[in-house]
Amino acid sequence: MDFYQPTSLDAALALLAADPEALPLAGGATLVAMMNADLVEPSALVSLRDVAELQTIEAAADGGFRIGAMISHAALADEARLGGGNEVVRQAAARIAHPQVRNIGTLGGAVAHGDPSSDLPAALVAADAAIEIAGPAARRVVAAENFFEDYLTTALKPGEMVSAITLPVQPEGAVGHYEKFARVHGGYATLSVAVVLAMAGGECSHVRVALGAAGATPVRVDAAEARLLGSVLDADAVRDAAAILAEASDPIDDVRGSAEYRLMLVPRLLGRALAAAEGGA
Amino acid sequence: MSDIESAIGKSPPRLEAAEKAAGQALFSGDMVLPGMLHGALLTSPYAHARILSYDASAALAHPGVKAVVTAEDITGGAIGPLVRDEYALARGKTRYIGEPVAAVAAESEAIARLAARLVEVEYEELPAVATIAEAMAEGAPLLHEDFADYFKIYPAPENGGNLMTRGEAVMGRGTDGFDEADIVVEGVYEVGAQYHAYMEPVSVLAAFAPDGRVTVWSSTQSIFRVQANLHEGLGIPMTKIRCVAARVGGGFGGKAEVSGELVAVMLARKAAAPVRLVLSRDEDMTSMRARHPGTLRVKTGAKADGTLVAREVELWFDAGAYADDSPAVLSVSLQYARGPYNIPHVHVLGHAVYTNKLRFGAFRGFGNPQASFAGESQIDELAEKLGIDPIELRIKNAIKAGDRWLGGQTITSSALGDALRAVRAASDWTRPRAAPAGCKRGLGVSAVAHTCAFLSAGAIVRLQGDGTVIVNTGAVDIGQGSDTALSQMCAAALGLDIEQVSFATPDTDSAPYNYGTVASRVTYTVGHAVHEAAMAVRAQLFDHAAAMLECAPERLELRPGGRVGVSGEPARNAEVSFADIAGRSLYAVGGPITGSGSFMTSDPLDPEHTKTSGLLDLGVLSVRSFGAQAVEVEVDEATGAVRVVEAWCAHDAGRAVNPGAIESQIHGAFTQGMGYALTEELLWEDCRLVNPSFMDYKFPGAMEAPERINAIVLETPEVSHPLGVKGVAEQPLVAAAPAINNAVSAATGLRLKRIPLTPERVLNALLAKG
Ligand SMILES: Cc1cc2nc3c(=O)[nH]c(=O)nc-3n(C[C@H](O)[C@H](O)[C@H](O)COP(=O)(O)OP(=O)(O)OC[C@H]3O[C@@H](n4cnc5c(N)ncnc54)[C@H](O)[C@@H]3O)c2cc1C
Repeated sequence: MDFYQPTSLDAALALLAADPEALPLAGGATLVAMMNADLVEPSALVSLRDVAELQTIEAAADGGFRIGAMISHAALADEARLGGGNEVVRQAAARIAHPQVRNIGTLGGAVAHGDPSSDLPAALVAADAAIEIAGPAARRVVAAENFFEDYLTTALKPGEMVSAITLPVQPEGAVGHYEKFARVHGGYATLSVAVVLAMAGGECSHVRVALGAAGATPVRVDAAEARLLGSVLDADAVRDAAAILAEASDPIDDVRGSAEYRLMLVPRLLGRALAAAEGGA
Repeated sequence: MSDIESAIGKSPPRLEAAEKAAGQALFSGDMVLPGMLHGALLTSPYAHARILSYDASAALAHPGVKAVVTAEDITGGAIGPLVRDEYALARGKTRYIGEPVAAVAAESEAIARLAARLVEVEYEELPAVATIAEAMAEGAPLLHEDFADYFKIYPAPENGGNLMTRGEAVMGRGTDGFDEADIVVEGVYEVGAQYHAYMEPVSVLAAFAPDGRVTVWSSTQSIFRVQANLHEGLGIPMTKIRCVAARVGGGFGGKAEVSGELVAVMLARKAAAPVRLVLSRDEDMTSMRARHPGTLRVKTGAKADGTLVAREVELWFDAGAYADDSPAVLSVSLQYARGPYNIPHVHVLGHAVYTNKLRFGAFRGFGNPQASFAGESQIDELAEKLGIDPIELRIKNAIKAGDRWLGGQTITSSALGDALRAVRAASDWTRPRAAPAGCKRGLGVSAVAHTCAFLSAGAIVRLQGDGTVIVNTGAVDIGQGSDTALSQMCAAALGLDIEQVSFATPDTDSAPYNYGTVASRVTYTVGHAVHEAAMAVRAQLFDHAAAMLECAPERLELRPGGRVGVSGEPARNAEVSFADIAGRSLYAVGGPITGSGSFMTSDPLDPEHTKTSGLLDLGVLSVRSFGAQAVEVEVDEATGAVRVVEAWCAHDAGRAVNPGAIESQIHGAFTQGMGYALTEELLWEDCRLVNPSFMDYKFPGAMEAPERINAIVLETPEVSHPLGVKGVAEQPLVAAAPAINNAVSAATGLRLKRIPLTPERVLNALLAKG
């Protein structure tokens, strides 16, 4: 197996283009574990560690952010500028595993891996984030909501890489909250709920809800948000919205919980997430 | 005897603490020898299959591969501590997925692992049994067709199919005793399989010397069990086997018997080079051992005033593919199934059944956690029905010194009542607990007893030329701190500082026999031998000193730091140092000063008191230590999640040799018991283990442990021990699950009967209750 450590994105892309069996190596938290378990056998690894352009967090002029793919979960969790609605991403990063994993795992790696049980995908969907993709021929941008296509399957085409994630300016007064339920601290979620919420005059003026570990991709449903919008987040509205989300969910049975239990958690964690966000809004 | 107390009752830093903290401790997997090869296992993909043939040619042709071994390389017999039903590698059949079938030695671990998969084994798959019910069904496929012919050391059932053990004990009028009861409660309890999760997976290094002797360094709880297994399983005479324990990264019972040692020795022998074998976590989880899962039907009867009159228990343990320690675990479980109470009429019946799963064996608590979860949960149900406070009910029925245990052994000392009163006071038992919105809080209690005298141990104490001593016991410190505690006991007998005692590395070449680091036995059982050996040295020191100081030995006393002086004469010229005595003994008179101690547990059961059948002889297991735990939990009504808020753990150490070590035993054991109660459970789909990784199998970490586990160390000296000590290594685990379950009941009104109490199970129960 070959190992490359390019210093520019273009060089990395060229290496990947030259060898279709090569894989980008970010933190390696997932990739190396998968190699050890013989789940993947790349012909070469293209380390992104020295690609400087993937390592920055830039505040955009409009108040949004552009976050490089190689930013670690720890750095993201420590990013004080991610407040308001974008707080949901910061909180999700902070709830990933343990400090060791957060120090090595990266935003780009987590996104590219596309594991529905992981924390960042749902948070990015709730934050209306976009994924910047760099390919051998061109760059393109895909909304987070469309990026996650199926279990461990994303919009990335062969030879393409995640270069950055952009977070928009969130509505005035919006608050983000990430509610994660796991068997123990640092475990993968049994179910998680990512919320971005704004209230105006006691009524919900903006809301995004995405569920993690509820299906093959993050679950977000317009109708559920429509039910909450304009409401005072009363029990009926929350229950109805949760029912819509649960209906759209297709969770699996596994050691973290049965599908049935995960569906039971949807209204329960949604209520908790909205209350926490409202408390902060 | 004030002179001997100096080193006891203090908490000096562990002898090995600094090296462990600095990452310098040498574990078996760290050791390297010139020319060393690496081993890797090929394990069975089938739950039950006949092995038709092996073809190692592809593996042997792979560059860097030096040897392949299979059952054809076994040169000894069957092994097993109680039933000889298994071999170093699967022979003839495989009986569980993950069972080692072949092994490879190669120049690197990567090559060995790759080549192991090149060993071709032809199998004929056989029908398998995944559960007790399947195993016991009419016409079920048999795991061990030749069970009747196996060598066994207990009365096993005949023509029982897959039934490995059926044990029974009856006290008083047995189940007829229920006619004295005003109130009877009955329930069926289920317990899951817990994995030991020691930090260091099984690891071993084996090397043959040119003279044909093999030295084995391994991660084990008993160098002598390793030696015995190598002898029995490979036919090597003990003169040719030297077993040494490196530092051991935890055992909890999982390394009480042999693990990778036989395979490593077979590889080293065939490759004619040292071989190191270190299992990966998933190999360790699929190929090694776990705690017995099972079901227990329990019935308890009491008079209206709370006097317990009768108990009946019917227990079924899934034992897995090989017996390992199962018959003993079953016997001990039944011995504890009455609970630490004076119940006059008892009938306990237990079964251990072969299934096509990994081996269930020894695990901290040894059958007691299962029995106590069921029994102690039921005591609370009874308390509720009687309208009596659960602590009060326990105190009323608590066993006391002079009372007799199930089986007939007499209790020599009991602090059970004190322990219950201690946790009642410390936990502020009756104060209502406020819970955050959406949550409920409650307190639960559990009483516990467990053993600490078991089988035999020896000790040798030698005076060294500079007046210091070295103590050699062969007892392995698996992280619990016994090296330090035994050194303290030795130092105390001789009035030395702990720095003046060295603790010999456990090595079968030099150590006296010692059964192993199991059954909370080391402080009590090995401590007995250490004390005796040190006292023998002391007697010789006094003989020399008497001659040197020209006075009668009775007039002599020990003085701190290694001196013997004449009582009442503090002057320097009226004393001699141990170094002076050593010099005299080595170069002038008498010869080297060596003391030895030897101890055997012998406390025969009384067949007049309790009628038993099918059980192991438990007369070699004795002396009970008592404790009680109170736990406060918080139940999240939205998710069903249970969090332990605080725990109060009162345990009787007889006499605390090292209070700090006891406290850490309590912290560790309680937390491991919390995992048993709340999150830990190996799960199978048919016969395939589905969660053999730390990603999928979850034990509590620092974040789950309550902020305060209050260790309350009681000291009621044990009369059968020269220093009054008892062991406390298992009780805090045993009493954790029932106390947590009872606390969940107090918080929610639920009476749950299955552990672990996963959030899903708790939530479903909450919803069902409405
Ligand atoms: C013990 C443990 C616990 C964990 N717990 C959690 C948890 O609780 N929650 C959670 O969300 N996650 C968890 N994770 C996953 C962790 O967050 C990983 O870091 C993350 O999923 C992958 O990030 P990485 O940088 O390590 O990627 P890598 O492992 O390096 O790569 C993962 C995959 O993405 C590809 N890749 C990497 N970077 C790019 C890129 N820029 N463009 C395209 N493809 C790329 C790689 O080729 C590979 O296929 C855990 C991981 C471990 C080891």
